[in-house]
Amino acid sequence: MRFCWPVLCALLAASPVSSAELLPSGTPINEAIDHYLEAGWVEAKVKPAPLVSGAGLVRRMTLDLAGRIPTVGETRAFVDSGSPSRWTALADRLLSSPDFAYHHRNQLDLLLLATKKNDGEFRKYLLQAARENRSWDVLFRQMMTGREANAAEKPALAFLKARAGSLDDLTNDTSVLFFGVNVSCAKCHDHPLVDDWKQDHFYGMASFFTRTYLTKKNTLAEKYSGLIKFKTTEGKEKQSRFMFLTGAEVAEPKQKKTAEQRKAEDAEVKRQIKDPKAPAAKVPGFSPRAKLVEVALGAKDREFFSRAIVNRIWLRLMGRGIVDPPDQMHSANTPSHPELLEWLARDLADHGYDLKRLIRGIVLSDAYAISSRFAGEGEVPGAETFAVASVRLLTPRQYSLSLLLASANPDQASKQVLSADWSKRREQLENESNGLAGKIELPGDNFQVSIDEALLFSNNDQIQNSLLKDSAERLVGTLKSVSDRRQLIGIAFEAMLSRAPDADEVAVFEAFLTKREKAGRVSAIQQMVWALLTSPELRFNY
Amino acid sequence: MTRRTSDMVAASEHVSRRGFLGAAAAGATAAGFAQDMTVLDVLKNPLIAAEIKKQQKHVILLWLAGGASQLETWDPKPGRPTGGPFMPISTNVPGVEISELLPKMAGRMQDTAIIRSLSTGIGDHGGGASLMETGRRKEQGLQYPDLGAIIARELGRADSQVPDYVSFYTSTEGRRKGTSGFLGARFAPMFLSDSMIPPNIRRLEAVSEVDHRERADLRALLARRFTQGRHSRNNVLGSHTNAYQRVRGIMASEKLFSIDSEPTAIREKYGPTQFAQQCLIARRMVEAGVPFVKVARAWWDSHGQNFETHQELCADLDHSMSTLLDDLEERGLLKNTLVITLAEFGRTPKINASLGRDHFANAWSTSLSGCGIKGGSVYGKTDADGQNVAEGKIGAGQLFATIFKALGIDHEKEYFVGARPLPISDFGAQPIDAVLA
Repeated sequence: MRFCWPVLCALLAASPVSSAELLPSGTPINEAIDHYLEAGWVEAKVKPAPLVSGAGLVRRMTLDLAGRIPTVGETRAFVDSGSPSRWTALADRLLSSPDFAYHHRNQLDLLLLATKKNDGEFRKYLLQAARENRSWDVLFRQMMTGREANAAEKPALAFLKARAGSLDDLTNDTSVLFFGVNVSCAKCHDHPLVDDWKQDHFYGMASFFTRTYLTKKNTLAEKYSGLIKFKTTEGKEKQSRFMFLTGAEVAEPKQKKTAEQRKAEDAEVKRQIKDPKAPAAKVPGFSPRAKLVEVALGAKDREFFSRAIVNRIWLRLMGRGIVDPPDQMHSANTPSHPELLEWLARDLADHGYDLKRLIRGIVLSDAYAISSRFAGEGEVPGAETFAVASVRLLTPRQYSLSLLLASANPDQASKQVLSADWSKRREQLENESNGLAGKIELPGDNFQVSIDEALLFSNNDQIQNSLLKDSAERLVGTLKSVSDRRQLIGIAFEAMLSRAPDADEVAVFEAFLTKREKAGRVSAIQQMVWALLTSPELRFNY
Repeated sequence: MTRRTSDMVAASEHVSRRGFLGAAAAGATAAGFAQDMTVLDVLKNPLIAAEIKKQQKHVILLWLAGGASQLETWDPKPGRPTGGPFMPISTNVPGVEISELLPKMAGRMQDTAIIRSLSTGIGDHGGGASLMETGRRKEQGLQYPDLGAIIARELGRADSQVPDYVSFYTSTEGRRKGTSGFLGARFAPMFLSDSMIPPNIRRLEAVSEVDHRERADLRALLARRFTQGRHSRNNVLGSHTNAYQRVRGIMASEKLFSIDSEPTAIREKYGPTQFAQQCLIARRMVEAGVPFVKVARAWWDSHGQNFETHQELCADLDHSMSTLLDDLEERGLLKNTLVITLAEFGRTPKINASLGRDHFANAWSTSLSGCGIKGGSVYGKTDADGQNVAEGKIGAGQLFATIFKALGIDHEKEYFVGARPLPISDFGAQPIDAVLA
């Protein structure tokens, strides 16, 4: 018996929270978040963990906004500041730093393309977009309908080009990444539990892409005609219609064409596919992809688009989506905080899909600053309450950048970040991080750290010869000149873990150094630095 | 529909299979924890540990990359236009005949079952390999784990000191790394493609043995302090700790990859071919507790000169496989080790103009030996020319269900990806009980 249970590809809950019940739209984002999360804690009778320490907050925010750990200078500046607005000031400094654009770019790339292929032009495109804080709807529009002839838009088409070989990929990846809905399981049958989710929806979405093809010159083009024929489970043959996930349909204007015109169109498409010397593909009068953008961003149907990206950004910063997993936004998988999702989605759409503004709002909420350690009595509150911060694995890029900084001369690193040419230096750092980042596996769903990573860090000569190098630019070289062991340990902890060691740690590390120094002081320092570099405290954002 | 045995892949750590620890430690039977040996404390008891080791089940997959011909191996068609020049020979199991290219196997079919009725429908290398590696057709948006990863997850131990999925693929043709799919990198293969020794398994000379050990202890202390009171999605935090805990054990298993310490007599039995030597390494691994070893032998894709190709490759297969089975038997390992021969597909009965046979997924064969298998059995039948399955047609799903059942793994077990349950055998696939002991 073929049985797929429960196929969770339904529409969003049929009855979204009415907007009259939501907090007023002028409410600051962080206040709205805290309002709704606190209400959830009261209802679930859970007590949230306390707020993280100042040093902990700097580390968390720097990883989330700059994509790297903070330097000693950055941490100290925050911890030593007596300003009541230091938190906001830190967020604003990081969001306007060159770091943010790189990190935001890397995150978007990871979401949209990096798991498929590495595309330098697309990365440049995203970097420029991140620098300008180009809004999410504009990015979406450019990725769906960018013009080949327009140099600024062309690289955006990489999103579709990487998937152009498969209609299923075009359809499903677009649905998952921009609308939070995995439609692939409605391909073979209607949803067995939810009446309004039919094969029509899968083929409806696929219809927007069925005319999309790659020319021989690797440009993206659309055919003049074509829909999809599919068989229902009852064996009935049906023709697809242009239909968005909400059920909204697009009618193709009737065009009177002679048989000759049609033949010429078919010949033109055939030539585009085969002939590398064909002139640029003509653009048909009716573009299904342009229609998809129009419907998806229209006032009536934009909820999918707005909710999906709110949920993704929330997942990025909070470790779990308000709807989780993020590709299952439907009635059988309800949000943990429906009003909050609703409010944030409305707020984002009302403010021109400004992602930076959303990110700023989230990192300024108290909820964002909760500790990841649960020290209370009884059951640990469930992840969906957000009462304890999640422990998040760094991306290979974040980890690689952080390792480079953690193992650098701390004084130099602190000065560089504040210097006028930090922008340039940050780009160099980005390039330097490529090597190590490429050796670390990209985390997918259900990711677990593999033995390969532990073996790499334990035995690869690059770790030994670069990160642990005994030179003035690196931490090992710096520590070598510090004769007092306790002071040396303090510097190492602060540079790598952004905090001071506690008394137990000092004792253990001092004993380690005392014992290991007999076999060579530099080597003892190297081993100590190795232990800190490979500790989970550096591997995770916590 | 009742919920079957479930296993939350994506669950938080509180409901992960680690929860099994309590129940098993309370005194489960050996068979009980042979299936899911996450029982750290129990392993410290040498008697129980020895029992577990004896009970632990393993798989050695001999992957005949490119597609071996069923007519020149397990399903000869003498006297037919499709039969080719080689004759069948009788085996030590009355009534069972195989190709004369496998004379040594013919003398030791008592532990081996043949399935002659695979009909899998995918005849390109990539698609066929994916189907036969994962036991099901590809599905958009979902990456299924392959057999090795599933076995690693089901039969491996969280704290294992040996690798739990090792894959040899030293030829360049048709090389595929294998995938742990949604099970995650924790269950990905240790993949050996260039050298017989895995990368980063050897300590650098610049780091002394004492330094290497003591810095790992220092790291472990930091990890213990950090993880206290912290929880992570899918226990990724725990997997980081586990990965580092396994480093020293995996490094110690380097010796498993070398056959130098095997007695000359054993090495001579296996002989000089790379495939045979990898089979010997596979046996060493199994003996040391590795649940899954894949040894790929390439390249069986005989579009031309099928008969010369098979003469050469079958000789290697016949000798290596029979020696491996004998060796496992002599060490008492065969009853707990399942040896499989499999490929992406078989080859056409029709002989083409280049005296070759092409890709053929409509009616082909596989063999299962050892653990849980009814030796000497034959399942399924092809028609006179081998063009179609005449009896007992099965697909990849049923083969996988059979493999799971032979190993004592619930073939109806489900993993979860998000809220979606995914059975480890393809939807509804049932095992072939006729080949099971």
